[in-house]
Amino acid sequence: MSNRTDQELKSRTLLGTPGAGGRAVGRPVVINTERKVVKPEKIDAERVDDEVELVENALDELVDEFEGLKSINSEEDIVDVMETQIQLLRDPELKKSIDGKIRSQKFKAVFAIFSSFNEYIQLLENSRVNWLRDRTIDIVSIRDQLIDTVRNKEPDYVKAENGVIFAEELSPTEMIKLSRFNLAGVVTQKGGLTSHVVILAQSLGIPCVIGVNWKQMRPEEFETVMIDGDVGSVLFDPTDELIDDVETYKEEKLKKQEVALQWASEPDVTECGCSFTIRGNVEFISELPRIKTHGARGVGLLRTETILFEKGGFDIQTQIDFYRQVAEATAEDPLTIRLFDAGGDKLPENHEEEHNPFLGWRGIRMLLDKPDLLRKQYEAILRVSAEYKGKIQILVPMISHMQQIEQAQLILEDVKKELRQSGVEFDPDIPFGIMIEVPGIAMMAAEAAEEVDFFSIGTNDLTQYMLAVDRGNSKISNLYQPSHPSIWRIMELVANAAHKAGIPVSVCGEMASNPLYAACFLGLGINDLSMTTNSIPAVKEMLCSHTLAEFKEKSNQVLRARTFTDVNLIFNEWKKTLELHHI
Amino acid sequence: MRKKKVTVLNEAGLHARPSSTLVKTASGFKSDLQIEMYGYRVNGKSILGLMTLAAEQGSEMVLIVDGPDEDEAIEALTTLFENKFKRE
Repeated sequence: MSNRTDQELKSRTLLGTPGAGGRAVGRPVVINTERKVVKPEKIDAERVDDEVELVENALDELVDEFEGLKSINSEEDIVDVMETQIQLLRDPELKKSIDGKIRSQKFKAVFAIFSSFNEYIQLLENSRVNWLRDRTIDIVSIRDQLIDTVRNKEPDYVKAENGVIFAEELSPTEMIKLSRFNLAGVVTQKGGLTSHVVILAQSLGIPCVIGVNWKQMRPEEFETVMIDGDVGSVLFDPTDELIDDVETYKEEKLKKQEVALQWASEPDVTECGCSFTIRGNVEFISELPRIKTHGARGVGLLRTETILFEKGGFDIQTQIDFYRQVAEATAEDPLTIRLFDAGGDKLPENHEEEHNPFLGWRGIRMLLDKPDLLRKQYEAILRVSAEYKGKIQILVPMISHMQQIEQAQLILEDVKKELRQSGVEFDPDIPFGIMIEVPGIAMMAAEAAEEVDFFSIGTNDLTQYMLAVDRGNSKISNLYQPSHPSIWRIMELVANAAHKAGIPVSVCGEMASNPLYAACFLGLGINDLSMTTNSIPAVKEMLCSHTLAEFKEKSNQVLRARTFTDVNLIFNEWKKTLELHHI
Repeated sequence: MRKKKVTVLNEAGLHARPSSTLVKTASGFKSDLQIEMYGYRVNGKSILGLMTLAAEQGSEMVLIVDGPDEDEAIEALTTLFENKFKRE
């Protein structure tokens, strides 16, 4: 390749932070751009029914979303606002007007919505009454959300299929919506390494690069774009050779995966015969088939926030259906259900803002303030436990104080009592465990171990709280280092406390999906690991093909290290000596 | 069909919360509800329609209820106006 082309390639390359690994080529698809004015486009007569249906689906979807938001708030004002939004969406006259514009005037759904809303907005803006003029802000916002929802569903939007998404930022809801398309990649301007977008991209195997200033490139003007989630680069109009490279890379990766997948069916023992357990972290129904194919012994962490985002999933039946579906997929293996961990970056949009959400009202803190929500979730889990006695466990997130353990248990006992009185069956011995993710409770592990049935260490949050680094803040995200020696030392402390009290301890954070870290956890005496299902084969290969003595040696070195660079050095040296297929 | 003249008694007029309560109550009945004010008529089950009335305290309006449960409906709606839309 000549220098000149090299130069040209460079000018079409953008760099960012690697979010989720893998390389792919696709069409650039820009979403989430500024609010547009909707043009009065017309449709053919045969599209009429489809457009009307688009509107109906969008209305249902938004109503579900608002119902969900309504149910996590008990403040009367917020509930009132949500109810009014829902009434707006269910307004019979508005619906009539939209339908009329589509059916008689043959306007596209988005324009029919735009102009129907605008007629009301104009009337209200001209009103003499102050509060009415204020209301128009809400109505404009509803209008725009509805238009967005319809646009997501327009056949046009299926262009996202096999495309590389460019967005400023994706909310969990948006990422959830997009994940239904077969995306080639995701590029965002904002977002941190452990944001929802990244976790989701990793679990779905979609290459993702974050922190990219892509706007000045005008991605929509290019036909193809290549994304490399391993190094964090985005290249517009790649040469044919580069595209071929990606194809070869993909084939090789597939082959490697096949080799690694062969490990999935191997017994869970190290080369020296010590047994360990690997489970899957699951958030989406679409991940369930991989539990079997990737060799997971059940689900070590079921995230339940998504049912909150997807469909106003707070009612008991929706939860029961979801838990049951997961329990079915794990067969005789255990299923650990983590209570709603809404908060921080996982909050649905429109929620009250907090100055410091990661140090704020989330996990058990929120649930103890919303006992109705907590009781509903307990009830749903208990009801499902009747059918799967001895395999379902409850995991409580964000415990920082000993009293929270007692409070959460009291409510659980109360729900049990109620169910017993109404003759509902459940597993009376359902294990009750806590997440160890706040240093304050980690330091109290010995005492906490006396009160609960198991520990699960959440390494993402533990790292961010140990090092006081907001993982979403790109200015300091380089300080977010899971290899910081303090993380390993506190994990050892927690593991020792658990062993002394004779309760199980597991790791369910991102760290466990790194084969070398996972090996060191075994060295620390933590032999129960839960991770995104895609990572399981590689981790298993590492664990099955080496001895515990080797893992102990490495973890001892790590525990003695002074800096995270020392720790990284230990791992890099180790990596060189290994012949693994997947690393 | 039943008709009934009512007056908006609450101080702030038929603002967001009362409108919302009114729609909710009206939607609980099978009968249609039309509301007439200064010769202007809106669907009483439409929150946007009610808003455009911009009814302030003291406004008079006519409720027109038509359908199988019109008697119960007009009863419930009148009570709502009389109670200044307070929730029970």
